[in-house]
Amino acid sequence: MGAVKITAKKGIFFTFIAITLIAMFTLMLAPQADISLQKDAQALQTRISAMDNYVTDLESRFFEAALRATTYKTILSLIFYMNSTSSYIVNIDSAFSEVMLTGRIGGLPIDAITGKKIMENNTLTDWNNRMIETAKDTLNVNTTISVINVSVFQTKPWNIDSRLIANFTVKSNVAEWKKSSAVSTTISIESLYDPYYMVNTNREYTNQIKKSSVEFNQWTIAKVREHLRNGTYVHWQESDAPSFLMRFTNTMAISSCCGIESMVNPNKLIQPDQWDSYADYHFWSHKFASNCTQLYNITGLWDEFRHFKLDVGHVIKYNITAQDAVKTC
Amino acid sequence: MFIKKRGYFFILDAMLALIVLSIGIFLITSSYVDVPQLAQVGLLADDLLNFLSNSKIKDINNPYAGIGGALWAQGLITDIENTLLQQIGEFYATGNIDTAEKFIANVSSGIIPPQFKYEFWIDGTILYPKVQSAEHTESRNSTEILLTSKKITFGIINKTTSNLWGPYKAEVFVWER
Repeated sequence: MGAVKITAKKGIFFTFIAITLIAMFTLMLAPQADISLQKDAQALQTRISAMDNYVTDLESRFFEAALRATTYKTILSLIFYMNSTSSYIVNIDSAFSEVMLTGRIGGLPIDAITGKKIMENNTLTDWNNRMIETAKDTLNVNTTISVINVSVFQTKPWNIDSRLIANFTVKSNVAEWKKSSAVSTTISIESLYDPYYMVNTNREYTNQIKKSSVEFNQWTIAKVREHLRNGTYVHWQESDAPSFLMRFTNTMAISSCCGIESMVNPNKLIQPDQWDSYADYHFWSHKFASNCTQLYNITGLWDEFRHFKLDVGHVIKYNITAQDAVKTC
Repeated sequence: MFIKKRGYFFILDAMLALIVLSIGIFLITSSYVDVPQLAQVGLLADDLLNFLSNSKIKDINNPYAGIGGALWAQGLITDIENTLLQQIGEFYATGNIDTAEKFIANVSSGIIPPQFKYEFWIDGTILYPKVQSAEHTESRNSTEILLTSKKITFGIINKTTSNLWGPYKAEVFVWER
């Protein structure tokens, strides 16, 4: 009997071991604790990843797109402003920055001066605010954008570059990004009006920027005729012409990178016979007004463009021969 | 006699333990089965939106939406660098809502398995499906799991005049039928 009792106790012992093992396995593999942890981590990861994508988008795509759109509209507004006021811009950088960020020039709404709704709800600040609202609505994040500087310049004759430097913060209940961003964009100047013509002719003679397709060594009198007829523009290597942006401020100096020029069509002038070279940047700055020895009547074109004259430098550049050019004195 | 009884006792004990273990394992594994459904719906929503926001017009070979396709021929698609999501946003911004619906249906077909349903919204407006059937609405209202994925989209309509549209909230809702 004593032996039987001992054996029965052993059985209970094994049962306890089995129950303990099951309890251990159940606790170890219990799905609830595991899943809730995993779920939390996944949710956090998804949220941070969505915010990170938004920050990347904001920095690499949105600023560039907004800068591009507002650069075009700002330049267009400044051209219309010059057309309305018949005056040059004193400082292109500050005017550009003020119009782009506030839609104002000299403290006044530029659209009210030009009579065109270009900058209304289209300033860089407006676009930034729209993005801030959309991000709040979509991702429940607080974004702050502070523009440090915007500037405009040219590095190529047919393009305008603009640059934006901004600090921004993206903040949510799980993470925060603090970043500085510098983005640049480029727009083409083709099809924009040349403000230099507008101001000098009091809006009577307008000319849109259109690049000539003639190669530098392919000029003939026939091509000059077409050039004059179409009001196209040329960039010469080592040109002494001003750039497109310099035309906003009446800076008729040499642009080392980006000088462009067109020829003034005498038929579009109130007084077609002027004692000047009809290369646009010389014509209204009267560079050759008192220097007739370097001025030529381009008689080869006078059947269509009577009184058209060029300085000796341009006669050579455009390959105009002696039979089509006669000294004025 | 005593020895034989002890043997049966141990066998019964082992069988009992085996049954308890089997039930335990069954319960644990069966409780996992419900979990991936939630993840699956979420993944599908993310997948669709990621596909739309990462694939460009130039990347897809689609007779309706791709380069040289029907929309290209009609002049409704002009920028091959647009992502599909940007193209949808552009259609919305320019008032081509019907085109946007067909475009979404075309590019998203096959991405979402047939046992799931989905909706595409932009800027608080449903673009796909524009007209919801009773079955669609019933399915949406009665589903246990409906998940959404959101992104911000924006773009430029005309490269010359640089007209910016957006930014819009783009949302994809996915649920099981």
